[in-house]
Amino acid sequence: MSTKKVSKQDKLEAENLMEEVQEIISPCIKCGMCKSFCPVFKTLREEHHSPRGKAVILSEKILDKVLFQCNLCKACEVRCPLNIKVCDAIKKAREAMVLKGHELKQNKEMITNIRKTNNPFGNDPEKSKDKLYCC
Amino acid sequence: MTLNKSTTKSYETDASGLRGKAKEVIFPNSIPEVQKIVTITPKIVPRGGGTGLAGGAVPQNGQDTVLDLSKLTRIQSLDKERSSIEVEAGVILDDLQHHLKRYNLEFPVNPSSHTIATIGGMIATDAVGSRAIKYGRTSKWVKWVDIVDSQGNLQRKGATELSDYAGMEGTTGVIVKACLKLSPRKLRTASLVPLETVKETLALVRQLKLDSSVSMMEFMDKRISKDLGLEERYHLIVEYESDKGKIKDGAYEKLLALRDRTYPLLASEGYTRIEDPKILTDRFDKIMPWFESKNIPVFGHLGVGILHPCFNHDQEKFIPEMMKLVRKLGGQISGEHGIGLLKKSFIEPNDKKILVNIKKRTDPINKFNQGKVI
Ligand SMILES: Cc1cc2nc3c(=O)[nH]c(=O)nc-3n(C[C@H](O)[C@H](O)[C@H](O)COP(=O)(O)OP(=O)(O)OC[C@H]3O[C@@H](n4cnc5c(N)ncnc54)[C@H](O)[C@@H]3O)c2cc1C
Ligand code: SF4
Ligand code: SF4
Repeated sequence: MSTKKVSKQDKLEAENLMEEVQEIISPCIKCGMCKSFCPVFKTLREEHHSPRGKAVILSEKILDKVLFQCNLCKACEVRCPLNIKVCDAIKKAREAMVLKGHELKQNKEMITNIRKTNNPFGNDPEKSKDKLYCC
Repeated sequence: MTLNKSTTKSYETDASGLRGKAKEVIFPNSIPEVQKIVTITPKIVPRGGGTGLAGGAVPQNGQDTVLDLSKLTRIQSLDKERSSIEVEAGVILDDLQHHLKRYNLEFPVNPSSHTIATIGGMIATDAVGSRAIKYGRTSKWVKWVDIVDSQGNLQRKGATELSDYAGMEGTTGVIVKACLKLSPRKLRTASLVPLETVKETLALVRQLKLDSSVSMMEFMDKRISKDLGLEERYHLIVEYESDKGKIKDGAYEKLLALRDRTYPLLASEGYTRIEDPKILTDRFDKIMPWFESKNIPVFGHLGVGILHPCFNHDQEKFIPEMMKLVRKLGGQISGEHGIGLLKKSFIEPNDKKILVNIKKRTDPINKFNQGKVI
């Protein structure tokens, strides 16, 4: 993860975002009904990659890079019997990570590439494909 | 592979909502890997889908290694003639059903957590589910299991030794593979019957028990019915393995999905503690007034007498009283979810003795799921 000097404003915004995250996920009852519909869990079969696993991590106010291993497809939200917007929570937590300077190096590189070349993999896509992943 | 501290957190709870602390999490990819890990690891909590409602998969005191079996997903030799199949422990029930569809076969035990519960977890808890009236518990459909014992040895356990593992909630060994019996897929339809009184409900259940095509009798009390968008009356979902029911195809699937949502819905209203006492169906009218007098919502597999009263935080103090009443009525404290951590204090001394003996015989060094069940 990259580190940058965090302004007071960014810190405050990040804290507000994390409060919103808590509000979204606090009703989660950990039933796991969202797990089997998550394409990332289906592929990797590890709890921390599942929406429930991510909700548990977020409920502990932990900002971990595993939050970037979600393709924001919202399948979990469609399946949650309680209508919990896990995907929204993950997106907000990622925003907070960026504001706090905990954004992934690969993500930064991808954004720079898009700005420069309109291609997340840059001018030489084949070269970048090993280290960058993009949904 | 092991995890960092942050991601380990996701393994420190299950659907019971209890929180514990893990030393580490390990994900074996194969049965020989399970054997290696078991040989060198002192304290192990086996884990499948983590849908258990008694805290059985929650690690304790920062000393337990969680052994997540979710990557053991091989579905092997289907024997069409004998209607059986060999599967690894991490296979999710719905994935197995999907695989079997093309052969017009199914595994007939159907817990509401079918989208995510694993075969290993179902055997370990001896899961029941909504079709129990026709198909019974999971163990009835298991020919043999392969287990890894506390020394790391792989052993095959057939019908006579199955009860040392089925329903023992991972306290006696790690289930890594099983041979399951299968049943032909059925055409199913349903009826949704509104009822005015408990007596009337019981009378209908008694009558339906005589009909061999009935495969499910799911009860919902008035409050739950209303929450699910039905009339504020008692309801019985009756499933038929024939075209007797008026609710068919898509509408039938929707009705079953509605039933699967019952507990999550109640939990979202604060009724998070779900219990699973089992009583004789005939004594249903002796226990319902107690629940109703305390405003405790109840649903369940009434055909086999398994009820799911759901308690909010303030009502949890009534649980010991309910257990007493269940015993007085000749029932059992847990019909399907198991004992885990949550129900340890309610085990009868005689039952405990039996469980302790099995544990001593199968896991003398107390490696598996220490502090659970007994
Ligand atoms: C919404 C919802 C509905 C449910 N409905 C039902 C229902 O209708 N009927 C019913 O019976 N249950 C039901 N349950 C409870 C739960 O789904 C079942 O107990 C299920 O069988 C657990 O499977 P799992 O793979 O999630 O196991 P886990 O929760 O991971 O583990 C459960 C127990 O089994 C042990 N275990 C898991 N895998 C293994 C293994 N391979 N070897 C040894 N031990 C192992 C664990 O240590 C733990 O003690 C429901 C749960 C939820 C959340
Ligand atoms: S997000 Fe919804 S479906 Fe997933 S565990 Fe929480 S309550 Fe259950
Ligand atoms: S939004 Fe993320 S967590 Fe939810 S199902 Fe999609 S990949 Fe999984």
